[in-house]
Amino acid sequence: MILVRRRAGGSPTGPARASRARNTEFSAGDKVFQWLAGVAAVIPVAALALIIVIMVVQAIPAIIYSGLTFFTSTTFSIGHLYATTLTTHNGVSAPQDASYGALVFIVGTLATSVIAICLAVPISVGGVLMLSEWIPERLQGFLSTFVDLLAGIPSVVFGLWGITIFGPFAAAHIYPTISHLGRFIPFLKGPVGFGEGLLTASLVLALMVIPIVASTTRELVKRVPVLAKEGALALGMTRYETVRVVTIPYIRSGIIAATLLGWGRALGETIAVLLIVGDLTLLPHSIFASTSTIAATIASTLDSAFTDYTHMALSALAELGVLLLVISLATNLAGRLIVRRVSTDALPVGRGI
Amino acid sequence: MNVRRITAVSTAAVVAALLVSACGASNSSTTAATATTTPTPVATGNPTSPVTLTEDGSSLLYPYLEELETPLNTAYPNITLSPAAGGSGKGQSDAETGAVNMGGSDAYLSNGAEAEYPGILNIPIAVSAQAINYNLPGVSNLKLSGNVIAEIYQGSITKWNDSAIAALNPGVTLPSTTIVPVRRIDSSGDTFIFTSFLSATNAAWSSGPSFGTTVTWPSVSNEQTASGNPAMVTTCQSTPGCIAYIGISVEATAITDGLGEVNLENQAGNFVLPTADDINAAVAAGATNVPKDLRQSLIYETGADSYPIVNFEYLVLHKGQSALPTALAIRTFLTWAISPTGGATAANLTKENFVALPTSVIPNVTAAIDSIYVP
Repeated sequence: MILVRRRAGGSPTGPARASRARNTEFSAGDKVFQWLAGVAAVIPVAALALIIVIMVVQAIPAIIYSGLTFFTSTTFSIGHLYATTLTTHNGVSAPQDASYGALVFIVGTLATSVIAICLAVPISVGGVLMLSEWIPERLQGFLSTFVDLLAGIPSVVFGLWGITIFGPFAAAHIYPTISHLGRFIPFLKGPVGFGEGLLTASLVLALMVIPIVASTTRELVKRVPVLAKEGALALGMTRYETVRVVTIPYIRSGIIAATLLGWGRALGETIAVLLIVGDLTLLPHSIFASTSTIAATIASTLDSAFTDYTHMALSALAELGVLLLVISLATNLAGRLIVRRVSTDALPVGRGI
Repeated sequence: MNVRRITAVSTAAVVAALLVSACGASNSSTTAATATTTPTPVATGNPTSPVTLTEDGSSLLYPYLEELETPLNTAYPNITLSPAAGGSGKGQSDAETGAVNMGGSDAYLSNGAEAEYPGILNIPIAVSAQAINYNLPGVSNLKLSGNVIAEIYQGSITKWNDSAIAALNPGVTLPSTTIVPVRRIDSSGDTFIFTSFLSATNAAWSSGPSFGTTVTWPSVSNEQTASGNPAMVTTCQSTPGCIAYIGISVEATAITDGLGEVNLENQAGNFVLPTADDINAAVAAGATNVPKDLRQSLIYETGADSYPIVNFEYLVLHKGQSALPTALAIRTFLTWAISPTGGATAANLTKENFVALPTSVIPNVTAAIDSIYVP
């Protein structure tokens, strides 16, 4: 717009001058565009670097204070803020009796996300295979839109639904049956509670992960060569045998990648888990027990951490953040590596998420 | 092209903002540095242009401040009070960093925070109390002591018909319901006064979790957590066998929701309810030794009728204010808020079950309000 106005009001007249002017202006525009595009390209990289650097710098005092107990201690306490003395470890001071152990949160994060992904992958893959092989094409679009809409539900809504409706319902009607299995699997034994806790969080997480795994799997299934499938059918195989012999082997590695992507999502999910998981710093001794995750703890403890005048609690939360970042980046990278290894041209991983 | 440029420019602005805030974070603690250059005295009165005073924090104080909004605006049309809840811890930290003009807190600031943010004031504007509520249909007039409640929150008493509870309630048929202790998950002044009471009445609690706005709670297998006083009520209401500590300003809701109110044992061995008279008895006993900086609990005071969990409701703010209109509005509001003819009328206080500040502390509170200055 600005360029046009300047050209219209500029002094040079006549076609030759006008075209020359336009040429120089276009090259100026090119330069500006190049510069802006360059800046835009740097921003995501810079943002990631900035976040990592700031988090690590923030976390350093807590890393020094906690040392390896960060990974082994089950006590996460910001300490007695009203006490008169400080506790000093490795030369760093924190409020009296402060202890920043992350073991509960590491276990909680891994447990909720692994249970969720173990439930979500078979459901997603089975559902997609059902959709592509047995459901009439007209219904396919409608049903897959449904799954995609599931991905669009805000996580806080999942959390609210989980804690007010699904959790209490499951605790009253489903969990007692599961807890009977505790006779054979000890981890399933225990009081079922009121619907908060590890299992409810995992089930709701599974629902949240299904669209991610399902949409990736759907793209994978679409890419299975029709010739191979037709060949299998021509050899007299049933639909089931075709799926087993042609489709599944073709998409197997892709599913691993989809699993890792879904897992990454489950690891970092905060608000839904915070609402449902019970938010207690306790190692879960049964699948129904309340516990907490890294992301949920960062969200729920931030408020208290700000009241710590030594700023060590904030530093400890930054350390938790770094840990979560490392775990998430590791799963993400692993997912990408597997995708690259199993496919010459990039799979449409992550589309529609 | 334009759209792209706008996108690029705005993303650049975002990154710049990120960088600025990153740098800002590191020296936020220096904003509260003492400025001892000739302070400008601050008068009281209606500011010449509209000023909005922001407040957040204590969910116990919040309903009272909401109550004061309209009368304040009537008395001083150019001052608008904008209160919010969020927990006393949030009120303290937001006031310390300057995110709000005043932070509401049921707890006074710790020595550590006072040292980290010099020149920060703890100004009591009313006296509040805390009720202990329970969800046991059919059981009324339950009596409990701090010692027994501490054992419940430590997990050593787990059933309502435990002999320790039965001993305090002769003649009452107690059910064998499992006790579900409910506690605050946010950084809370109610937690501060509750744990102060437990520390005063139970030695193991005093040397263990001790007291604070956030404490390390002993793990009890069926404990529940809630954020804010209203959530304490709803959680307790939906959990049979629950016990919860609830700020007096939402106690009316707790009662209408069917929760029982515990008769608490005071230092004299009598069982009392948080009535205005019993709160005033505690104030009369505790107000004699309030220090100049006004940081004092009114927990487990002496006196036959004293209710044992009573506290000052504080507004936490910086003595040195950067802008004169804001300083004027804050000083005017606080002076008005503690005045019996201003905000602290019997009608306003009674609505939230608060009681007025004792006259003996008023001179120190006024002195603190008058110390607000603009450097």
